[in-house]
This record gives sequence, C-alpha cells and structure tokens, in this order.
Amino acid sequence: MPSPLPWRKPAAAAALLAALTVPARAADRAFGEYLSSECVACHQLSGRYQGIPPILAWPEETFVAVMNEYKLRRRANPVMQTIAARLSDEEIAALAAYFGSLPAPPAQ
Amino acid sequence: MTRIHRRRFLAGTGAVVFAGHLPRPALAQAKPRVIVVGGGPGGATAAKYIAKDSNGAIEVTLVEPQRAFTTCFHSNLFLGGFRDWASITHSYDKLASGYGVRLVHQAVAAIDRNARTIRLADGSEMGYDRLVVAPGIDLRFDSVPGYSEEAAEVMPHAWKAGPQTQLLKKQLEALADGSLIVMVAPPNPYRCPPGPYERVSMMAHVLKAKGHKTSRIVVLDSKDSFSKQGLFQEGWERHYPGMVEWQDPKMHGGIKGVDPSAMTVRTDLETYKAALVNVIPAQMAGKIARDAGLANQTGWCPVDPASMKSVSDPNVYVVGDACIPGDMPKSAFSANSQAKVAAMMVRGELAQARTFPARYTNTCWSLIETDDTVKVGGAYEAKDGKIAAVSTFVSQKGETPEVRRQTQAENMGWYAGFTADVFG
Repeated sequence: MPSPLPWRKPAAAAALLAALTVPARAADRAFGEYLSSECVACHQLSGRYQGIPPILAWPEETFVAVMNEYKLRRRANPVMQTIAARLSDEEIAALAAYFGSLPAPPAQ
Repeated sequence: MTRIHRRRFLAGTGAVVFAGHLPRPALAQAKPRVIVVGGGPGGATAAKYIAKDSNGAIEVTLVEPQRAFTTCFHSNLFLGGFRDWASITHSYDKLASGYGVRLVHQAVAAIDRNARTIRLADGSEMGYDRLVVAPGIDLRFDSVPGYSEEAAEVMPHAWKAGPQTQLLKKQLEALADGSLIVMVAPPNPYRCPPGPYERVSMMAHVLKAKGHKTSRIVVLDSKDSFSKQGLFQEGWERHYPGMVEWQDPKMHGGIKGVDPSAMTVRTDLETYKAALVNVIPAQMAGKIARDAGLANQTGWCPVDPASMKSVSDPNVYVVGDACIPGDMPKSAFSANSQAKVAAMMVRGELAQARTFPARYTNTCWSLIETDDTVKVGGAYEAKDGKIAAVSTFVSQKGETPEVRRQTQAENMGWYAGFTADVFG
C-alpha cells in the first residue's frame, strides 16, 4: 500500500510544518531544564510547599509575569529580585516552558 | 528475514553469535566512570546530577565513609533547640535507589592522578575517567596556640557536624547562670562566613530561654569585620542586651593561646577563664585533596571558574568548601551550585550532553532569635579569571518583624527543598 506523499495531504503538510517549529520549542524546554537546576535548590521539584512556594505547572504567561515583577522590583524578595535580574527574556521563557510542562503538585 | 535465515547468515560470515562466551569485545565501549570523593552537599549533588541527567550512560560511584550525613548547615539551629538531630541527618539511600549511584562507604586513602585510580582504606582500587573531589575542610589546629585535635574534646570547634556538635550542645545545656562563654572566631577564608555569629545567637537564645541573667559570651575574632555584622549586632542588642561582646584584633591585641586543662583563653589584653570555649580555628581543604596535589600554598584548591575543573588536572573537578570560589562564600548552597556546573561539564565530556555557560548562585540565612532571620546572597559567573559576583543582596537593618519572620519561613523551606535536591 503506497503511503501518501506529505504535500498531497494538507494535514500531513501541517504536521510537517509543526515538526519544523517543534525543535525550537523543545530547545527552550531543554535550556529551561538546565537553568532550573538553580531554582530547585529552593523550589522543590516534588511540588511540596514548605515555606517556599512550588512553581510547577504554572501557565507560562503567569510565570513570565511574576518573574518580570521581580525583575522590576515590583514584587518584594531580594533573593528572587537578584535571580530575576540576571535572567534574560529568553531565559525566563525557557524556565516558564520547563516548569510549566511539569505535572501540577497534589493539593496540600 | 526469518530467524533461521539470520542464524545461517551470521554463521556463514563467521560473526560472533554467543557473546557471553568471550571476554568483553574490544569494540564494545565500557561506560565512562566517574568517582565522587565526599558525600556532603557538593559531592552528593555532583553524583546525583551526573547520574540523573546522563540516562545511565555514565557509571557514578560516590565514596563517603559516613552512612548518613548530618548537615553542618542548620546544626546551629540544633544547638539553639530549633531543630532535632534526626531532622538534620540524611540517608544516601535515595541516591542509590532513585538515581543508580553506587555507594562505597569507606574513606579514600590516596588518589593516583597519573593512573587515574583511587585507593580505598581497605586497600582496594577503583579506576576513573573523571574525578570529582569534594572533601570539605580540615581544621588548622595549630593556627591557635595550645589548640589540637585532643583539645577539641574539651574546647570543641563543632565546625564539622557530628560528635563535636553533640559535645558542644551538651556543654551549652550544662551551663549555670553566671557562665562565661568564649568563642575564638576564624580568619578568612573559612566555611560559612556568618556561621560563628549565628552560633553566638543560638547560644545566647538558649541561655536567655533558661533565664540566665549574668552569663556572657565574648567573641575574640581574627577578623576586623564579619558577614552581616550590622544585622547581628543590631539583633544581639535587641534580643540579648548586654550578653554578647565582640572584639576585633585591634581591641584584644591578638590571641596568644588557649589552655584546655585550665579552660583559659589568653589575649594580649587579658586572660579569660571560661565555662565553655568554642575554638573555630583557621581552615584548609580536606586532606585527600591536599595529598593529591590539588591545593596551592593557601591550602585551598584553585579551579577554572567556567567549569570547576582543577587547574592541576583536566580530569579532576573540585567543588564545595575545598575549592577557591572567587567571590562565592564557602557554603552548602555554593557547593550545590558549583557541583551542578561540574556535573554539566562532566556530562558534556563523557556523554555528549549540551553544556551552557556556568551560572552560580548562593543564599545564606542566619537565625538570630525566634522568627528573626537575616540573609545574604548573590548571583555569580566566570569573569576576570574567577567566579565573580554579578549582583548581591543582604537583609536591611530595621526590617519589620513580619519580614524577618518570613525570612525564617524561607530559611526552613530552603532547608527542606535543598536537602531534597542534594540527597534525592
């Protein structure tokens, strides 16, 4: 049975286009995973909340917004302000993608 | 091709079919081996992160004599009665069961960097492709005249958590009102810059809680200033008025010696007879690192700030208190941060992993009194030939009680998250 050539099937063409854009997304997440090693010294990967809030499964826009508030010193906490200040927009986006992709912690 | 056809095909070409009968074929690659020396926050983090992120491609062995690790960080809180012993002691089981790290509970007797082997206390040898050395500190007992390892049984340093911490706690709890505590504080660089002053705070807390009215703590420092000094002194004045006296070298004129049998501490200014003496001497890298030729004349190990590689050996990394950390303090947080960079570089070398420019971070929290905690920290990167601070922060005098209470909640949260990160 011959398989259809991609350009003959719009759905397949769309999938091919998606495949071309997915690597950039995956690279963000991989970069985010590397950067996350700095965060998990305090923010538990298990999602447990013991004095320091969990940051798993946040919508990416929320994550980015909160980090920008720390960067602009509109949110208090000198530890987070220092950390946010040295993260570029690309790095914050990568972290948002990585942590956002992790499963939400169980309700506590 | 059906199974029978494949067998005939392989037999016909003379290819090896029963690999189990032969010695390891030359073509088959043995897994690269990493040995980590030392299971503190630096070593345990390195072992975990190399194993965790290499998907079994690297064989990781952690060599650490202790079967459980009591953290020096937060041992002051144990001293102050804010934590119990079990809560600051951690097993290595999860590193083995969760990440496949091989545990060897022995001391390392020697490192042969030419042969790339280590020799264990029992005489056996292990080979490595890369070595991560994280032995922590050793005390320079002779930096304080009259002090020694034997003297530490009477005048504890408690600068390595374990029996020394228990001894100091026992001595502290036994004090009657009217006691004099003398602390000899170390010169830079040393493990945990604010540590001695958090300890002073914890000792003062215990005595205050017991209702002592006239007990005093005298700190004889080898330094002209110390970490978070303004904050500690403000806190001591607020919480323990009249109890704590800090002297810099200009004031006491130099520490002339200690006498453990007489329980005296002599400075140029006067001689103190004390009920409890806590001597924290000058320090150096752990012996195994020095014996292996990884330290310079300062007694600490210089490293490449972009990778944590020893400048003496491209196959060896040094992380944690034993290394020369540039602007970073010697702290558990720093050790964990440095270990993550080293782990990434090792995986880059041995497992073709992606590597990124090194980033480092540190935060140190110090408890002054119940719900009154201050912090200091920073972000760092490799710059100007060292690990250089990019930005730093510190708590401010006059912060509200609510801010200090939240800082303490953060301190406790950090410890829980941090030990989960380090020990699995």
